[in-house]
Amino acid sequence: MLPQLAKKSITENPKKLANLIDLVNLPLTLRDFVGQSQISRLGCFMRVWSYIKANNLQDPNNKNVVNCDKQLSKILLGKSQVELVELPTLVKLHFPKEPK
Amino acid sequence: MGKVPPSMRSATPLTSFKTPSSSSSSSQQNPCSNPPNRPHFSLFKKNQNKSSKPSSSRKSLTPSSQIPPPKQIFKSPSLSSAIKVFDTLISTSQLPLNIRHHNALLKSFSQISNIYDSFSFLQHMVKTYPSFTPDHITFNILLTQSCKSISNDQGEGEGDVNADLSVVRKAIDLMVTNGIQPDHVSFDLAIRSLCDIGREEHAVELMKEMSVKYCLPDTYTYNLLVRRLCKVRTLPTVYRFVDEMKTLGVKPDLVSYTILIDNVCKSKNLREATRLLGVLSEAGFKPDCFVYNTIMKGYCTLDRGSEVLGVYKQMKEEGVEPDLVTYNTLIFGLSKVGRVEEARKYLEVMADMGHFPDAVTYTSLMNGMCRKGDALGALALLRKMEENGCSPNSCTYNTLLHGLCKGKLLEKGIEFYEIMKSSETKLEVSSYATFVRALCREDKIAEAYEVFDYAVESKSLTDVAAYSTLESTLKWAKKVKEQKQACLVGIAAAGGPKQ
Repeated sequence: MLPQLAKKSITENPKKLANLIDLVNLPLTLRDFVGQSQISRLGCFMRVWSYIKANNLQDPNNKNVVNCDKQLSKILLGKSQVELVELPTLVKLHFPKEPK
Repeated sequence: MGKVPPSMRSATPLTSFKTPSSSSSSSQQNPCSNPPNRPHFSLFKKNQNKSSKPSSSRKSLTPSSQIPPPKQIFKSPSLSSAIKVFDTLISTSQLPLNIRHHNALLKSFSQISNIYDSFSFLQHMVKTYPSFTPDHITFNILLTQSCKSISNDQGEGEGDVNADLSVVRKAIDLMVTNGIQPDHVSFDLAIRSLCDIGREEHAVELMKEMSVKYCLPDTYTYNLLVRRLCKVRTLPTVYRFVDEMKTLGVKPDLVSYTILIDNVCKSKNLREATRLLGVLSEAGFKPDCFVYNTIMKGYCTLDRGSEVLGVYKQMKEEGVEPDLVTYNTLIFGLSKVGRVEEARKYLEVMADMGHFPDAVTYTSLMNGMCRKGDALGALALLRKMEENGCSPNSCTYNTLLHGLCKGKLLEKGIEFYEIMKSSETKLEVSSYATFVRALCREDKIAEAYEVFDYAVESKSLTDVAAYSTLESTLKWAKKVKEQKQACLVGIAAAGGPKQ
């Protein structure tokens, strides 16, 4: 029951929802990767994830780990290896909270 | 935008205008801009074929209308062009048109034009073709259109109800002056049209007015409106309406009471439901199977599944024959409160009574078993269900997936997920969340991502819902991992020399 409730709170909370789907002006590093000047956090995550899949970047021995290529490491703090667990967090770093 | 509903309307037989509700009022908003509707023509052609040569009418139409032969008759909502088309039609048609053609023409025109032009068009038809006497159907067309036209008037408040209904009144007056009394069919059409466009206030107003002036609505119309009001208005409003109609001579029947009880049960108002039951028997009605089913359902929504047994017993005492829904509700209710064993007994009882358990029955039972943690038993039940020739639906699959993940049977759950994937079964919110959580718990992050992909691809969930679940689950998984590591480090540190 708990995950369902948690989920509800996110999609029904307009602020959190906006945080996820609002278009944001991108910093230069991300702009090169995405190829657009604006994208939402959700869209960005999808791009990164599909990039990983398209280029077979998951480690063949441990699928939970991604071996970054040059382009990817550029936007993920320059790391050469990233765990899938932290992928949303890393993407989120590019979308800082706006000061009120 | 407005393309589909008109074509659906025309596809129905000419004489019955009780079209299924296409509640999108968008189709009514700007009929003028409707693109050419083929059905108008096909409707007309069908009638033409019966009496006159289709070639004659088609020939005459070609110069005034579009180039390709299959086309609509009226392509512009303007009255003058419609009159012109009508005149050419009469002058070139070799056999006399009968009333069905007139009605079809009027309907086609009124659908793309506004109501006042439709009035004028009727006038013109009567004038130029004296043998045509408008009948019930003719006026019902106008009445329906006049009701629908209310949504066209933009920017009116709740206050000027009278101004809005005036056009409907005009249609009725026209009917009466032509010697035709509006009957329950007109009544039903009008109320239905008003409900379709979300004008319940007007529907109530019109119903009262027509009951006083012309005739009483039949029970179908009345119950339709009661059901509508229950959905969109507060309970006191509904009661006021019921009371007012009582004074006009329309008494609620068993169906009305069932609707009301269902409504209050949905809003978890048990006291009111009990009161209504009292009123029901006071009014001299004997509850039937549907009433009992509704009460049972009510108890289930109120999380008082155990009470369904009492209702079932009462039903038996009263000699009311339970149906499939009764048993399904009974089993659902008992399963929900964890009395699966008893629920299972009723599987045989219902078979004895000649009702075969369906997917709903089995799924309710499986749900109950999974709640008790007996996911393997539920899986066995699935096998039995398939043996009995009952194919599981997506709800069954989701229940089982949820149950397997909750029951720490992740391996089985993954297997089951593959089956679901191969049959393209959509995931439900809760089973998706549970599954992703279970996968992350076992550090199968890549698999969780894969499930996320499937959920998005199969459009089971919205991207946002799927992602937010994944994100929060990963966040939680990360935290757990870090804690574990910290713990390990702590143990190592405790074992080693202290600083």
